[in-house]
Amino acid sequence: MSSADAPVRDVPAATPRQRRLTVCRALNEALHLEMAADPSVVVLGEDLAKIGGVWGTTGGLLDAFGADRVRDTPISESAFIGAAVGMAAMGLRPVVELMFVDFFGVCMNSIYSLAAKQNFFSGGQVRCPMVLMTSVGGGYSDGGQHSQCLYATFGHLPGMKVVIPSTAYDAKGMLIAAMRDDNPVIFMMHKNLLGMGWLGTNPGSMTHVPDEAYEVPLDKAAVVREGSDITLVGLGVTTHHAVAAAKALAKEGVSAEVIDLRAIAPLDRETVRASVRKTGRLVVVDDDYESFGVSAEVIAAACEDRTVRWKSAPRRVAFPDVPIPFSAVLEQGLLPDTEKLLAEARRVLAEDYR
Amino acid sequence: MTTDVTIPHDFWDDDSEGSISSWFFADGDEVQEGEMIAEVMNEKVASELLAPTAGVLRIQVEAEVPVHKGQTVAQIV
Repeated sequence: MSSADAPVRDVPAATPRQRRLTVCRALNEALHLEMAADPSVVVLGEDLAKIGGVWGTTGGLLDAFGADRVRDTPISESAFIGAAVGMAAMGLRPVVELMFVDFFGVCMNSIYSLAAKQNFFSGGQVRCPMVLMTSVGGGYSDGGQHSQCLYATFGHLPGMKVVIPSTAYDAKGMLIAAMRDDNPVIFMMHKNLLGMGWLGTNPGSMTHVPDEAYEVPLDKAAVVREGSDITLVGLGVTTHHAVAAAKALAKEGVSAEVIDLRAIAPLDRETVRASVRKTGRLVVVDDDYESFGVSAEVIAAACEDRTVRWKSAPRRVAFPDVPIPFSAVLEQGLLPDTEKLLAEARRVLAEDYR
Repeated sequence: MTTDVTIPHDFWDDDSEGSISSWFFADGDEVQEGEMIAEVMNEKVASELLAPTAGVLRIQVEAEVPVHKGQTVAQIV
């Protein structure tokens, strides 16, 4: 999207003032508010304290809450994420950052063998109220070990909540809800949405954000645009692709409904089914690898509802099953975007089998 | 009275260009003096642009367009 599409331009000059924030500033505000409200919230990770986080999420926390509660860690994810799981077991509410989700390999034992399971294995005696914040997504030529989403990798493993906000409003409310949740929450921040200037900022992600603390539920998809002919389902940045595609389809006389999943664990299957019962057509778009992915699960959930009257076969647009290339030409050629989604939606609309 | 909003000279050291990564208010919004109204990026470093006075913001330079130090990017009327 060009900056000409920025939502700030859509607002008539006469509207009362509405502060808009980038996602990273909304997350920063959520951390400040919840750390002030709850002394058991602590923050740890690489470059979070003095630098304020490479994703701009933790600025000012060190000055406001001190080095006991805001801690820079060595570059050892296995050590500091393991430490966070231990802190959570002992009654703290740690917020820990895995800088890129791609780095999960060295710390996955702490995440899926301990954080996700100990509540179940201890009969509820050991909880893990931990938030693991991690950046996802590519599109800026950072190579396959810094550009993946891995939604499905985490969503597949029970015992954790996995959320991916698409706007600043949702980001603040979902992070506050995550910090108050007694379960481990994998909080995925899409790099195209954060509002870091050098990564490009999807203008649709900048929204009005109230000053005060509020919660957005971690288990509810959002219908961000209502329609009757076709359902487009996205999450994170692909929600914005879906909205752009819906606007393009509207010019062709097609009414597209857009659903933002917001979370994949738990997955709000009923909101998807309710929409597809109405439209009978479905295209799901996500920027994780295609096979065994989020889009496949959403399509399966819709197909399991025998009351859906399909007008055409459901389809998906995801990243093809190859490691994400460094080359900008190759990466952009494979990465799901508005044009690829539109092409798939037009195919679905054309192959009507009523 | 009209007050220019300019890119401060101390935002970065050399004469390179930067850009406004985000406006936090819309054209026509009322802003308070000292309120953060935009974020300016130069070489991956973000600086906070504050409103020099209270009034109605009139944006002249959109986000992600190159700007130089001293340039007027908005007015507050």
